[in-house]
Amino acid sequence: MPSKKGGTKGKQPAPAPDAAATVAKKMDSEPVKKKTSKASPPLPKESVRAKRVKKVKSDLKPREIRKIVKEKARKLAISKALRTQKKVFTIGDSGRKRVRKIRTTVRFVRPRTLRPPRNPKFPRKAIPKRCRMDMYSIIQYPLATESAMKKIEDNNTLVFIVHTKANKYQIKAAIMNLYDVKVSKVNTLVRPDGKKKAYVVLKKDSDALDVANRIGII
Amino acid sequence: MGKVKCSDLRTKKKEELTKQLEELKSELQGLRVAKVTGGAASKLSKIRVVRKAVARVYIVMHQKQKENLRKFYKNKKLKPLDLRPKKTRARRRALTKHETNLKTPKLLKKLRAFPQRVYAVKA
Repeated sequence: MPSKKGGTKGKQPAPAPDAAATVAKKMDSEPVKKKTSKASPPLPKESVRAKRVKKVKSDLKPREIRKIVKEKARKLAISKALRTQKKVFTIGDSGRKRVRKIRTTVRFVRPRTLRPPRNPKFPRKAIPKRCRMDMYSIIQYPLATESAMKKIEDNNTLVFIVHTKANKYQIKAAIMNLYDVKVSKVNTLVRPDGKKKAYVVLKKDSDALDVANRIGII
Repeated sequence: MGKVKCSDLRTKKKEELTKQLEELKSELQGLRVAKVTGGAASKLSKIRVVRKAVARVYIVMHQKQKENLRKFYKNKKLKPLDLRPKKTRARRRALTKHETNLKTPKLLKKLRAFPQRVYAVKA
């Protein structure tokens, strides 16, 4: 038991000094700059980069080489700007260390901000409006004229006067709900007296004559 | 069906009201068909009655709904705008009674020191 304890105790401080050692190593390896340069070591990288560039140049086409060189030049420029900027700030302002963003283009683009979805704390209206287009108001009444009768017998269709603002989808759904029939299609037109007429074609397995009897228009 | 009265409707529950509404509306549909196919006069005169009955059901449903919502929002800080007191636009924006009666400490001191005296003349 005491040995175990000693072992664990020994382990715990061990990694800590190791970490400290590695950090210290990093600090030493960085080139000594005038003031605080926390920028990662660019100098050693430059030499590495140069070596790398030399290697790559022989393999690639000139266009790609130019691209790579440009990219590296750009990165260099940015890191240089960062360094000088940090220098300027830390020399001048004693306490404040506010890093201003680096602008890489002349244009100013509005930054994208968070736009959360609506989450109202209270509904503005207590009761939302009720839907006025229920199936009873869509289908007003069936037509029982001679031509309508002909349609029932010959074409398996029913003819209704419907709400002027009803569309074919609504009419179809309303008929199916009201009379328990299957609707094949709906054709509509607006009569000269301003009302909408709907020719409702039923499917083969529904009989228009039956439905007409049920409704009461025979 | 007998006459549809609001007092009766108010005792009903929401589901019953909805069901009655459906029945009335389908009755109305049937009456309109009768109108087209040349129905009896009794049927034609009933159209108006049924229409008004439908209206009554809607009225009661709406009133109940509003009443329940008012109960729900009773002690809440933020209410829907139509549940807040209507008054007039200007009155809603005016200072509240409490706000108008607020006095500065300076003023309070003065009032306390020099209150309005009341005298009586001896006869």
